Amino acid sequence: MRTARRVSQVLFFLLFLFLLVMTEYKGTDEIAYPVKVFFDFDPLVAAAAFFAAHSLPAMMFWSLATVALTVLFGRFFCGWVCPMGTLNHVLSHNRLKAAENIRRNRYDGRQSWKYVAVVFLLAAGVLGLQIVGFLDPFSVLIRSFGLAVNPVFNYLLRATFYPLLALDWLWLTAILEPAFSFLRRYVLSFEQPYFYQGLFIGLLFAAIAVLNQLRRRFWCRFLCPLGALLGLLSRFSLLKLTVDEKTCTNCLSCRKNCEGACEPQSTESWIRSECLPCWNCVESCPHGSIRIGLARPRRSEQTVDVTRRQVLASVGSAVGALALLRIDPRKLSPSASIGAGRESKRFNPALIRPPGAVDEREFLERCVKCGECMKVCIKNAIHPTLAEAGLEGFWTPYLKMQLGYCEFNCTLCGQVCPTGAIQRLTLEQKHKTIIGLALFDKNRCIPYSLGRNCIVCEEVCPTPKKAIFFEEVEVTDHTGQRVTVKQPRIDPHLCVGCGMCEYVCPLVDKPGVYVTSIGESRSPSNQLLLDVYGGGQV
Amino acid sequence: MSMDRKRFLKLIGVSAVAAGLPGCGPGAGGGTSGGSRLPRRMREPVQLPGAKMAVVKGAGPEAITRRAIEELGGIGMFVSKGDKVLVKPNIGWDRVPAQAATTNPEVLAAVVKLCFEAGAGQVLVLDNTISDSRRCYVRSGIKKAAEELGAQALYLEDYNFRSVNVGGELIREWPVYKDALEVDRIINVPIAKHHSLSRLSIGMKNFYGLMGGRRNQLHQDVHLSIAEMTAFFAPTLTVVDAVRILTANGPSGGSLADVKQCDTVIASVDPVAADARAAGLFGIDPAEIRYLVIGSQMGLGSLDPATVETREIQL
Repeated sequence: MRTARRVSQVLFFLLFLFLLVMTEYKGTDEIAYPVKVFFDFDPLVAAAAFFAAHSLPAMMFWSLATVALTVLFGRFFCGWVCPMGTLNHVLSHNRLKAAENIRRNRYDGRQSWKYVAVVFLLAAGVLGLQIVGFLDPFSVLIRSFGLAVNPVFNYLLRATFYPLLALDWLWLTAILEPAFSFLRRYVLSFEQPYFYQGLFIGLLFAAIAVLNQLRRRFWCRFLCPLGALLGLLSRFSLLKLTVDEKTCTNCLSCRKNCEGACEPQSTESWIRSECLPCWNCVESCPHGSIRIGLARPRRSEQTVDVTRRQVLASVGSAVGALALLRIDPRKLSPSASIGAGRESKRFNPALIRPPGAVDEREFLERCVKCGECMKVCIKNAIHPTLAEAGLEGFWTPYLKMQLGYCEFNCTLCGQVCPTGAIQRLTLEQKHKTIIGLALFDKNRCIPYSLGRNCIVCEEVCPTPKKAIFFEEVEVTDHTGQRVTVKQPRIDPHLCVGCGMCEYVCPLVDKPGVYVTSIGESRSPSNQLLLDVYGGGQV
Repeated sequence: MSMDRKRFLKLIGVSAVAAGLPGCGPGAGGGTSGGSRLPRRMREPVQLPGAKMAVVKGAGPEAITRRAIEELGGIGMFVSKGDKVLVKPNIGWDRVPAQAATTNPEVLAAVVKLCFEAGAGQVLVLDNTISDSRRCYVRSGIKKAAEELGAQALYLEDYNFRSVNVGGELIREWPVYKDALEVDRIINVPIAKHHSLSRLSIGMKNFYGLMGGRRNQLHQDVHLSIAEMTAFFAPTLTVVDAVRILTANGPSGGSLADVKQCDTVIASVDPVAADARAAGLFGIDPAEIRYLVIGSQMGLGSLDPATVETREIQL
């Protein structure tokens, strides 16, 4: 069984890596693979999305399968499927003495932290606060791999190949170029990715990795809220570990190799909610005394070690967190169901959400900050926020037009969003979706400020009738001559806020034209012109 | 101090990374590639005995393209056995062929096929696009058309730009795509389009797509930069795709209302005359277009198409 478990772990990890690589434009308008499939089977994200947003994308009903299987067979998902678990498993490899491993693999009371975490996250969800993404293992894994690990991997490979290829040594190029082309086509990102906060997210991930040196599978034992949820569900599972006391010599080889610290050395001490069923105990027992089988659970058995006081404390902190995070200058209404009324007029100009994003209140209730949209964005325009969306919206996606822009005919971000925070758009809908509005800074824009021609912005404006037009104006140039220049202007009826103008502006440090969030079609309040919006959907 | 194998390897790895990293990044090694001999198109310019320009109108993009090149004496005048040829389309935008913002794939395919018929060793098709290059290559239909015929339609790689002396008054040293410097022949296959700054984007403007670096600055003197790039790249042949032309909202287009069906292909060894003749399709007097005036003053070709020996053919 241990071999079967290992095969399963390797296959699911490879599946994860494959889907991560495929979370990119590969020549078709539709993503060809179900890249968000791990989320579809994640009951924690499903529960949080359901509690906070009161609705569930259809695909997430698959998570009920995970629930059902866990109720039957315990935390097999952690030990056999979860790629985050596999990664921690591998990184937990150590060369400590046997006695030290036996000591460290003793059940630790602090393993109840994760139950506190899951109660906190779900209680926050019930209150409408969607913060599960900070700790949900797939959100953590995809965010870390997409925004930090993959850029590092790309950089190192490119940094190896580029200088060698630039040498122009024919024999070397003949060897390396096909290899690099192959890598670029099948493994690397098309361009070197860069993500705002990538370093920070990477360091946090490195910390999770390093913690495994303290305790084996530190993340899974102490922190993982999904593991905790599955632990709670496994309470009545049929999984049953029995130790034959007649043959057992108490050598503790089982505990030495235990992944979950579930005390497998006797039938009575075994804690089913901590058991990842990894089968290490069974396979490492020199006398074959341990059996894992199926049986009806008994009440007296060890289960989840979490006190009523801890539960109350975490619910209480969820209430506190709600207040702390929600008191925000934007004065978002406490619930999406409450009408706009006299809602705030304070909007962050930088908070340009991806096309198809739902209105901000509901967006925050849905988004799990997984970074799928950021990974897939064809021009690397979508980045995680720092404080632009308030603390509640930390790491939610927004577009930074100086780093990339929204490609007019691309609809990828809505295709990969696991929770419907970004809706899937048809191309026709996408062309009509306004994410912001570009306006000129006449103090910087070249034809206004320097009296020379430029209008690169007008050239690239992608709407079929260009949203940037120009007036021919006679001005005095720096030599005192009268010259005619084309001064660009915006037609707000046509601009969709894609940011291509800002991206190509020759004023590369601080563009002379830039997009802000005003006019975004998802918001009834962040609006500028009556005749464009008119207070209702067009 | 003892050093075991593991430590030794670690040390090697760390020092390799430390030594390598500072020199990396886009544009690394951008030294001037001097000393290499001139490509064939510079050493042996084509001398045509007969007509210098052919304008063919009729149905079937492939047929009119073939006929236009035949009228100039056939592809053998331009491409020899074993040549490495760059066929340069305009695929700068994420548009489909019907929107007339990118070169018609059938026109491009006809040129590529002819090159191989003349025995070309290698045919490259590439463009430094404005929209995402994957989408441009795919949606324009150019990648498929080129690769089906055995040409290479590769995406540009950062490490393949070389900073070279372009020799202009305005554009002095600039990063240029390596292949454009090395090939024996450049056959320019642009589409004829409206452009709000240079008025028209046809053949000469198409060389923006072989340049790297801060191309957005070139707009500040768009006409001179177009003429200087044409002088630098020295196209062997220009084949203007005017099957559909884009009459407004160029060069990106997007609306079928701005597309005009002309069913025409113009082939010429004179890059200025080719653009000047195509300007006629828009009803624009070439003398009004500054880059054509500058180009003719620089000796790149004739501003007045009437002075060029031309075959006008209706199929």
